[in-house]
Amino acid sequence: MDPIIRVESLHKSFRDLHVLRGVSIEVNRSEVVSFIGRSGSGKSTLLRCINRLEEPTSGEIWIDGVNIHEPYIDINKVRAEIGMVFQSFNLFPHMTAIDNIMLAPVCVRKISRQEAKERGLSLLEKVGLAEKANEYPEKLSGGQRQRVAIARALAMQPRIMFFDEPTSALDPEMVGEVLDVMAQMASEGMTMLIVSHEMGFIREAADRVLFLDEGKILEEGTPDDIFNRPQFPVTRDFLGKVL
Amino acid sequence: MLKDYTESNTFKKLRDTSGRVPLIRQPVFLIASCVALVLYGSMLFWASGEGLVIRIALSVFVALLVTWTGIIITDERRGERLKTSMVFLVLAVLVLLFLEFHVTNSEEIIELFFNITVIKKAWPYLVLGFKTTISLAFMAALVSTVIGLTLAIFRSFDNKVLNFFIIAYVDFFRAIPIIVLLMLIYYGLPFLNIRLSAFASGVLGLGLNSGAYVSEIFRAGFLSVSKGQLEASRALGMTPWQTMQKVALPQAFKAVIPPLVGNYVASAKDTALCSSISIIELLKAGTAQQSLNANPSPLIFVTVLYLILFVPLTRLCGYIEKRMKKTQRQITV
Repeated sequence: MDPIIRVESLHKSFRDLHVLRGVSIEVNRSEVVSFIGRSGSGKSTLLRCINRLEEPTSGEIWIDGVNIHEPYIDINKVRAEIGMVFQSFNLFPHMTAIDNIMLAPVCVRKISRQEAKERGLSLLEKVGLAEKANEYPEKLSGGQRQRVAIARALAMQPRIMFFDEPTSALDPEMVGEVLDVMAQMASEGMTMLIVSHEMGFIREAADRVLFLDEGKILEEGTPDDIFNRPQFPVTRDFLGKVL
Repeated sequence: MLKDYTESNTFKKLRDTSGRVPLIRQPVFLIASCVALVLYGSMLFWASGEGLVIRIALSVFVALLVTWTGIIITDERRGERLKTSMVFLVLAVLVLLFLEFHVTNSEEIIELFFNITVIKKAWPYLVLGFKTTISLAFMAALVSTVIGLTLAIFRSFDNKVLNFFIIAYVDFFRAIPIIVLLMLIYYGLPFLNIRLSAFASGVLGLGLNSGAYVSEIFRAGFLSVSKGQLEASRALGMTPWQTMQKVALPQAFKAVIPPLVGNYVASAKDTALCSSISIIELLKAGTAQQSLNANPSPLIFVTVLYLILFVPLTRLCGYIEKRMKKTQRQITV
């Protein structure tokens, strides 16, 4: 079967800073892939390049067999298929939780408000926040905000989900509730790309772990391989610090 | 070893001075000098004539009184009531002095500045002018909003060429005095065969000027919307236009309401400048009636009308600003 995401020798520079130095990956359907590495190793940039929140300097990206840099590609259609969850939640503060979730399905998928609302409510129920539908984000805790953000991404019925350090901005006691939702998604067969420092979660949920160092994939394997038998001193060093 | 701060020099000094009340802050001094001032003042009032000595003595009296009030109202130990009464005392003394030495005939004053007959005669014209002022202000606000918002939206696309023109526009219209702009439009454009009515010229001039400010206000509003918000919207597959419409604008609007209202009020006051291009707005109506009746009462009345219009509006600005601050808690969402 074709990989759903294929990235070939991706490079990204911010002026003088060469963040990605030739990254090539393939992600299969329903695979949960986790990126780990020190800060500045290019994990977040890689995710952001794949849905073109950052324009890559060079390299090719195929999503579901489509090269997303072809001029005839409507990047908005590609992004609609990729849900993204941010470290800083980025909920829209001027909308209630349910409006946050309904916005994109109505604007982009052009479904009726009624249908969007039903879908939104059932998603809120799924992330355990059914009773918070009409709350504004400022009334929600960090963990609740992030769960609403996940529901918002899911409302587009994406085929792929990106998580860019989804729990890094959370108080420790709220990390669990977000990870639970993510674990449930993984078990439902969602293709997920996760940048995270939650090694315990990665060990449990990920099918494959990629260790990035200085803009390159240094090491890749099952969680078991990476966590228990790291090949490189850099990986060992990193894991020694975070585990 | 920890230093014993209680015995350090600084603290000793503080303790030394804290126990002592300076002479000018002592009640005895206050009462004594108040009595002296009252005696001094009453002496002056009974003295007649306008000789040089009296004038000098008066100046000294007023200077002393004002200094005293200054000392008292800056003293945290004095009660609010005392401070307030001091201020009123000064005001009363100043008014009394003014009436005593500058006004020879109070009836004449009323006749000159508060002439009811003249105001009655001028009233319909002043009302017309008032209406014109309001519609000028309203139309100018409309034009400036359209200009400012459009410029700010294009500015947010961050295109170098567009930016150049927008910045040039803003610089130009902020630099040029409104009255010059009005003259250019009303007296200059006809030479290019563009003939605008006085009213249209006024609206255009005020709108162009205020639009420059409005665009800067909106730009600040857009900048206040975090990059993460825009990214979240784009990541959901929303187009730049949808993102602008549903995410950026509503948030920016909320942030810009206080400065925007302030700007509208300021720009509404600038309508008075339109009297220079023969728009019969409130000021022009006032001056016309003044020369017609050879009496400045209409001008006084115009001032009152301006106050009636703008005092509530400026109050409203303050209120909105306060309210916004209350609801806009800084949060990362």
